[in-house]
Amino acid sequence: MKKLLILFSLLFILGCAKDEDFIMVDPNQEVPEALVIKDLIGIKLENTIVSDRVSMNVKLPEAGTYRIKIRHGLNNELISQERLEVKEGDNILKVYVASLEKSAYMIQLTDDFHNVLGNESFVVN
Amino acid sequence: MKKILLLIVGVLFTLTSFGQNNPSEINYGAVNTVTKVGDTLTVEFKYAKKDEGDATLLQFDFEWNNKLLNYQSVTWKTPSGASQTRNAWTGYKFNPKANSTESDMDVQYIWWRDEAGNNSYSTSADWSIDRITVQTASAYTDGDQIIEYKFIIKDKASTNYSNWNDILKVNWANFKKADGTQIQVTRPSDFLDLGSLEGGDAGSVTLKLSTKLLDNNVSDGTDYSYVIKNGAGETKASGDFDSSGEATVSGLENDVQYNISVSISDLPEYLGEVVTVADLALVFAEAIGAGSGPTGQTTTFDYYIQDIIADVVGTDNKVDFQDSYEILAYLQGVTSGNTNYITQAGTVHEYSGIKSTYGAYENNAVTFRNTFTPTDSDASSKTVEVAHGLRGDVNFSHSFEPSVSSGEKTTSAQTTSQSFRVSMAPGAKYNNTETANLDLVSEIKDGQVIFSINSQVADMVGSQFNIVYDKNILTLDDVIFDTGNTMTNFANIVEEGKVRVGSFDQNFEATVNQGTPYKLIFTPNEAIQNTSGLISFRVKEGVKADGTQILFNIQ
Repeated sequence: MKKLLILFSLLFILGCAKDEDFIMVDPNQEVPEALVIKDLIGIKLENTIVSDRVSMNVKLPEAGTYRIKIRHGLNNELISQERLEVKEGDNILKVYVASLEKSAYMIQLTDDFHNVLGNESFVVN
Repeated sequence: MKKILLLIVGVLFTLTSFGQNNPSEINYGAVNTVTKVGDTLTVEFKYAKKDEGDATLLQFDFEWNNKLLNYQSVTWKTPSGASQTRNAWTGYKFNPKANSTESDMDVQYIWWRDEAGNNSYSTSADWSIDRITVQTASAYTDGDQIIEYKFIIKDKASTNYSNWNDILKVNWANFKKADGTQIQVTRPSDFLDLGSLEGGDAGSVTLKLSTKLLDNNVSDGTDYSYVIKNGAGETKASGDFDSSGEATVSGLENDVQYNISVSISDLPEYLGEVVTVADLALVFAEAIGAGSGPTGQTTTFDYYIQDIIADVVGTDNKVDFQDSYEILAYLQGVTSGNTNYITQAGTVHEYSGIKSTYGAYENNAVTFRNTFTPTDSDASSKTVEVAHGLRGDVNFSHSFEPSVSSGEKTTSAQTTSQSFRVSMAPGAKYNNTETANLDLVSEIKDGQVIFSINSQVADMVGSQFNIVYDKNILTLDDVIFDTGNTMTNFANIVEEGKVRVGSFDQNFEATVNQGTPYKLIFTPNEAIQNTSGLISFRVKEGVKADGTQILFNIQ
């Protein structure tokens, strides 16, 4: 009985404590460390050498319609392009590479008018 | 008094002239004519008496290059009853007496016999010494043969010699009369000189491949292999090109004619992208506007070779509607039942030949000369430039475009062609290209993946897009065309994950609508948030009525 009283007392004390004393609010909390983008805008892949698929973070200062382009790593020829709606801040997405030839590529973030906002290279292995 | 002095001088001069003896000679030279490596060289040695007497002892010593000659045999030419010996040593070379006339054979003999000691010969791996001794009661007189040697001419490859100029010379001679008097001997020539001969190892021969597949970085040279055969059809060399499209070949012989063939060694994926709507347009134009075959009397083609490349059904080198419809059927994925020669995924029909004459038109036929002959006298013969082309590739997008002038059709023939050279001046090449912007984009709408081809390009009578998609994540449900009412559209699933979409107006009148002429609808097989990388595009081109190929620049 004495033990139960002690346990309840501890729970009571903890329950009365301020939340901020124990929970740190981090806006990047759900972004894996490998995908954290420090700048306000950018694109980042979880890995540079990829196969099948890889996670990608697209970080933007405001929501809207953007494009993600994949260009060949040698001649810069555009070989794949998607248009998508994204929210402000981090957007954790995927790049699917299973149907791409094994080669080097560049992934590019642009606005809907093809203005480049970020680049990153990757290799399909 | 003056006359007396002149007389005395004249008499003295005359006596002096008569007092000079021409020494005898050891003559040696080739009896036969040799022209190439492997020939048998016969060398004879003779006594030339000159002002000397007959000889009963003939001893001479000569050196020959064992890197360039291979000793075979000797034949004595001595009189009956003569004593004769041949001594031979390999790996030595004679050192002539310093500050002497090297051709004075008896002086050199005395030098060897009395003065040189250990210095008469040096070790030299390239040279061999032969010494001939003949003693006979029946004296040698002018022009008598002593001995005949036979050698096989060796290849100079892997030696330090660039020719066969210096292969044999006599070092000294010891000729005596019957009374033992030393005979003055000279040699009229130094080294036996055969000059440059044919044959032998050609050394390194460089092969250089030309095709637009390399020029445009569609592939590298490692996709190609070569086979070199001799006239008997025996394979003498084979292998792959390197990534730059070059290969170094060894084991060939100089002055031997070889033929070379080049082929795509594997079956690379891009073979399915060789024949497109741009080729189709050219073949249709030829079938409609010309159809007279390789005579070139009326034609829309620029080169005679196109008559062959475009003749994908049959082998009569005539382009007709059967060929054009066969290509259309291929693009549409329709099986015609014909045996065709269209280069496509998994199937290659190819040509190769020497670049400078590839596709030449001679004696009413298109030729692919494939012979070459390496020779030392022409350094350029050691570099063989070869060209390669693919059947069905009428616009040479993946092939070598001929450069030989005889391969071009005459401007006058093009002038008389019908309306399908409307904006193309006679003589101008049909394979002109233009670049136009295009927007190809995928997006998720209402749970489906929509891939749109958005075009603002006018005047296209044909277009083609080869689309690749991730077959594990997407299923192609539908292709929506908005190209115009009279266009012939095609959506050919080449294999799961690859679809060929396009249009073509075989009358060269209707054009593909601007806007969004093609839309592909996919259903995702798993939950996805975005489509990056799921859909990519390979071939993307259009064609105008005059044959101009439109290369799309995807923004």
